[in-house]
This record gives sequence, C-alpha cells and structure tokens, in this order.
Amino acid sequence: MTDLIEVRGLEKSFGDQQVLQGVDFTAASGTVTVLLGPSGSGKTTVLRSLNVLEAPDAGLVRISDASIDFTAPPTEKAAYRQAIRALRARSGMVFQSHNLFPHRTVLGNLIEGPVQVQGRDVEEATASARALLDQVGLAGREDAYPSQLSGGQQQRVGIARALALKPEVLLLDEPTSALDPELVGEVLAVIRDLASENWTLMIVTHEVRFARDVADQVLFLDGGVVAERGGAEVLTDPREERTQRFLARVLDAG
Amino acid sequence: MRLTRAIVLLTLVWGALLGFATPSYAGDGPAAEVVRVGTEGTYPPFTYRDPKTNTLTGFDVEVMKAVGEEAGWDVRFVEAPFDSLFPSLDSKRIDVIANQVTINPERTARYLFSTPYTYSHGVIVTAADNDDITTLADLKGRKTAQTASSNWAEVARKAGANVQYVQDFGPGVELLTQGRVDAIVNDNIAVLDYLATSGTKQVKISGNAGDEVLEQALTFRQADPVLRQQADQALAALAKDGTLAKISEKYFGADVTVKEGSADVDVKGSDSRTRWEVIKDTAPKMLGGLIKGTIPLTVASFLAGLALAVLAALARLSSIRPLDWIARFYISVIRGTPLLVQLFLVFFGLGQVGIKLDPYVAAILALSLNVGGYAAEVVRASILSVPRGQYEAATVIGMEYWQSMRRVVLPQAARIAVPPLSNTLLSLIKDTSLVSLILVPELFHEANVAAALSTEYLPLYALAALFYWVVCYLVTLAQAPLERRLSRYVA
Repeated sequence: MTDLIEVRGLEKSFGDQQVLQGVDFTAASGTVTVLLGPSGSGKTTVLRSLNVLEAPDAGLVRISDASIDFTAPPTEKAAYRQAIRALRARSGMVFQSHNLFPHRTVLGNLIEGPVQVQGRDVEEATASARALLDQVGLAGREDAYPSQLSGGQQQRVGIARALALKPEVLLLDEPTSALDPELVGEVLAVIRDLASENWTLMIVTHEVRFARDVADQVLFLDGGVVAERGGAEVLTDPREERTQRFLARVLDAG
Repeated sequence: MRLTRAIVLLTLVWGALLGFATPSYAGDGPAAEVVRVGTEGTYPPFTYRDPKTNTLTGFDVEVMKAVGEEAGWDVRFVEAPFDSLFPSLDSKRIDVIANQVTINPERTARYLFSTPYTYSHGVIVTAADNDDITTLADLKGRKTAQTASSNWAEVARKAGANVQYVQDFGPGVELLTQGRVDAIVNDNIAVLDYLATSGTKQVKISGNAGDEVLEQALTFRQADPVLRQQADQALAALAKDGTLAKISEKYFGADVTVKEGSADVDVKGSDSRTRWEVIKDTAPKMLGGLIKGTIPLTVASFLAGLALAVLAALARLSSIRPLDWIARFYISVIRGTPLLVQLFLVFFGLGQVGIKLDPYVAAILALSLNVGGYAAEVVRASILSVPRGQYEAATVIGMEYWQSMRRVVLPQAARIAVPPLSNTLLSLIKDTSLVSLILVPELFHEANVAAALSTEYLPLYALAALFYWVVCYLVTLAQAPLERRLSRYVA
C-alpha cells in the first residue's frame, strides 16, 4: 500500500533564517502522525506546507493524488494555482486559535466550505454538519455564534468545520495550546475518537501523554530536520539525546 | 447572499454611472429647434421665480420668450448662478444667456451679442447713513460687494475699489447692511426693485456710477452667428410692434428698451409677501428640493462612492504595485483638493473637452469620487483590522481571494467601518448643497432662489439648516440599529 502523505526534501526560509532544512517523511492512510519538537524547530511550518499556507522553497509535497514539487513548481501561474487548490482540497486544518468565522453561526461555519467552495447542496451539507456536531458533542448548538461558546467548544467546532469538507487528512496545529487546562480534555477526547475511526491525522502538539496513546508515527523535529522518528516508543524510550532532553523538559512542565 | 447582492448592486450603480459618462449630447451646438437659455432666476425683476406660482418669470425671461416665439425656437430655460452662466455657455450646456448681460469689450472679444434690449445706468448703493461715497471716484480703496463675472464688478475694479465677490446681488446688500462692505455698484433697476421689495431703510442709492449708458443684450457663442442673427431679427420685429415696450412698462413703468428710458423707472418690487408667507411658500419647495435633489443625490453618490472605496482599498492592499500607486494617487488627489473644484472640473472642465455630462450625472460622479477617496482609507483600515487567521481559515477551506473577501473579510470589516462611514455620509448630505452651482436644483438652491427674491435671508437659511439637521439626525438614529445588527455575533 502506498503512503497517503509524502514529503521529500522540504526547505523553507523566513528571511535569512532557514526553518526547514530538508524534511522527509511519509504517512500511511488511517495513521496518526505526531510532530513535536522545541519551539522554532519548524513543526508548524511543516504542517502549513502541506496546505501551502506557507509555500516551501524546495521539496515535494504529495497528499493522495495531488502533489507539488516546489523545487520546480509549475511555471504557468494558472497551473500553479490549480495545483495548490488541488493539494488544499485534500486536507482540512484545525488552528491553534480556532479561527472560526465570528459572523456566522456554528452551522454557518460548518457549511460555509461545503456549500460555497464545494458547491454541495445546502440541505445535504446541513444534514452532514449536524451529524458532525453530534459527533463532537455539540448537537443543539447549531445556531450559537462562536462567541457564545467556551474555548473547548469552539475548538470542537473548528474540528467539525475541518471535517465537513471531507478531507483525506486532518492537520491539527497545536489544537489545545490556547485552551484553559480544564478544557483540554474534551478536545483531546474528540481527536482520540477520530484516531480510532481511522482518520489520517497529522498533529503538532506538546501533549506527550496523549501523543503516546494515539501516535502511530512520531517525528521529532529539531533545527529544521527530523532528528528522530519512529513509533510511539520514541516518546517513552527516545534514542537521541536531544529528544530525551526535550521530553524531560515537557513532561516536567506538564 | 445579502452581501453578494449588495456588491452586484454597487457595481451596477457605478457601471451605470460610467455608462452615462460617455458624451451624451456632445458636439454641434443647438439643434434646429431647441434653444437652451441660461438665466439666474435670482435677479428680480429681470429673472426670478414668481412667489405665487413658482414659475420662472421676469423682464428678461419674458423678452426671451417673445424672441423665441418670433424666431420659431423651442426655448428651454436653465437656471444657474451668474458666475456659472458663461462657463455653461462655453461648455455648450446652454446656447444663450438672457440675464442683463452688459456689453463690454472683454465680452465682445469672446462672445456674440444681439442688439441691446435694455439700456441702463449703474448706481452706487451705500448704507443709509453714509454720505462719503457719491461718485465712482469715491470708491477708490473702498470695499464693494459684486458678482465676480458681472460687468459691475469690472466697473468697481476700474474705479479702484477693493472688490469682494458674492454669488448674487442680494447677499451683497446683506453685506452692505451688516457693514462688511462700503458700497455696491449695480444696475439702477435691480437696485430699485430690491429697495421696493425689502422696504429697507438701511441702504440707499447714493449716486450714479458714471454717466455711461450701458447696453444689455442676449449673449451667444461666437460659433453661433445664425442664432444671433435670428435673435436680432426677432428683437427688431418686437421693438417695431411695441411688444418690448409693453413688457418693459409692465415691469418698470417705463420703456428701458430704448436709450434714456431708464431715467424715470417706477418699480413696485417683485415680492410683496410677508415673512411668514415667504416661509410658508418656500418650505414645501425646499422639501421638494430635498426629496428630488438632495436625497437621491446622496443615496446614489454614497452607494457608488462606497463601491469605489472598496475597490480603492483593495487596490491599496494589493500586492500588485501599480494598483497600489493608482489608488494612493486617487486618494491623495481627492483628499487634497476642494470638493467645489472637483465639481467644477467634472462639470465645466470636462465640458470643454467634449465630455458633456448631464448635471445630475456630473454631480453624482464628482460626489461619489469624493466619497470614494475619503472612505477608501476607512475601508482599508477596517479590512486590516480583521485578524490574519480569518484569511487563513478561508484559504484552507478552499476559498479564492474574492470569495474570502466577500464571504469572510468584508462582512467583518463592515462592523468596524460603520461609525466612520456614517461620518462620511453626514458630510455628503451637507456637501450636496454645493451642486446648485453646477445647475442641479436641490434644497439649498430653493432657499437661495427664495432669499434672493424676498430678501429674507435669516429665516430661509435657518430653515435650510433645519432641514439638513433633521435629515442628518435621522441618519444618526438609523446608525445604532445597524451597528447592533452587524455586531450581533460579538460577545
């Protein structure tokens, strides 16, 4: 079976700071990949490269049948845009600070992409949005505005909004970092459910204990490269010294 | 969907406006029949609105009608302030001026005159208790109030007076009464009419402005000798059959259409109404001007201006540099030049290069360009206040630039923009009072017309102010619910 996600030689600089210096990995369909590493290690940039919120300077990104080789991207502007559109359509994203549309209701947030972008039927999109809300434990809150929800509820709506587009991969960028500690659990529970339903997930997180439970693959980034990779055992029994130091620090703090 | 429709509507309004902007009746002077006559309508007893019927009348108006009938023209009157008449003639918005235009060398060099239809002499008007100024020589170094392009301004300037410019005769007398100027030079008939109408004892005729008899005639473009010739034939016929003398007797109790005739005029005054009658008659006209002029102008200009502002703001934020430069230049020009100058450029300026816009279209064009320039920065700041994460969220659900603007960014920016934009709207409502200068009748124009005739400046302008204030107040009342609605999602 071929991998669903493939990343080769990913490089990205901001100004004269090279954040990614050749990142490679693959991820199989239905698996959970956890990206972790010290701040500035480039893990969020990797995630944002997968949907071209940041355009990499070099390297290959492929999700399913959509790929862009940023080392030699399509020279024609329209073709390049089309390639970006195709790649983006393969993934959904959950932001650290949810970025829900404040002027639309919960339901409005969920059907915005399906109806406006994918051109799906409003009734069908609404029905599937209700099912998703039920799944993230927010049935009955369709008509609330985001500002009327708690942080944990907002983030669960954020997850449902990303799923509403029926992506092949869900990208989660520190989904619990902005939450009050007592709200973290409800969001992690939802993600855990997704993992058990065989969604393909890529998560940037500092929740090491949670990561141990769900990760099929762990990528430890440091200095713009994958410093250590493996299964969940990387989190319990790391080989690399810098991984050990990082884990010790994070677990102490937690 | 609501916003989509709003944007489509704005685009249509603006598109329609540009559509109008193509030369409408450019080119070749008057058509065979229609002759457009420019006249003030605020210079009794020569040209004014009858206080009872509100129709244009006066000596010059009646003469012009008689000439038109004799010459077989379809005469259509266009009312405009005196200083707008010559530019209107130059830019072919009118074909002839019938407004006591005095023949002088400067004008003869630029225009064609008919044979004279009145002979008058100038008088000097001063405050009743001022005996220092009785001849033109006494005007040296004194302040006088004159209409800029009138012949009397020229007479006063030549006498060495320090000339202050006013829109027409009435405001000049007001300056005189208030002691802000020392004298006015004007036509003896106009002055006598004013004195009779106002009944004022505060000003008087203190002397003749020279011995010269001045001749007034219909004024044509140099390119229209045929019209002039037809007018001359008509005037000769009307003089011969006594029509001119009859009209003159009616207004002046004397025949001023022949030389020396103006010596013994007897003017009764064109307006004998009381102050309350004037206000009662004028209020509905001002309301009409508000409903037919001020409000539609405001609505159309604001919608079109808002569409322009959004485009200019997006251009300012664009990564395409030339778009940013163009928008910066546009905003800078609009904010750096007076609205009045913009109005005149669009109306008279473009008229001289063959782009002749209907007055309403010109007014909406100039006003909406002005609104667009001012509102663009408001819109830009509002767009910038929408958090970056909102663009990213729109992007990752697959939206393209315009879609994310329309569905995500602009609706949120609108909430921020409402208070400053309502300021822009209030300014616009009041700025529409300028467009009477480019021949668009609206609220303030009606106030001016009535004030010129009745000399009731204070109550009429106060009433105009009241109308503007009420409209602005209603707009502010509407602002609160709109803000509430746009903020309904904010905790």
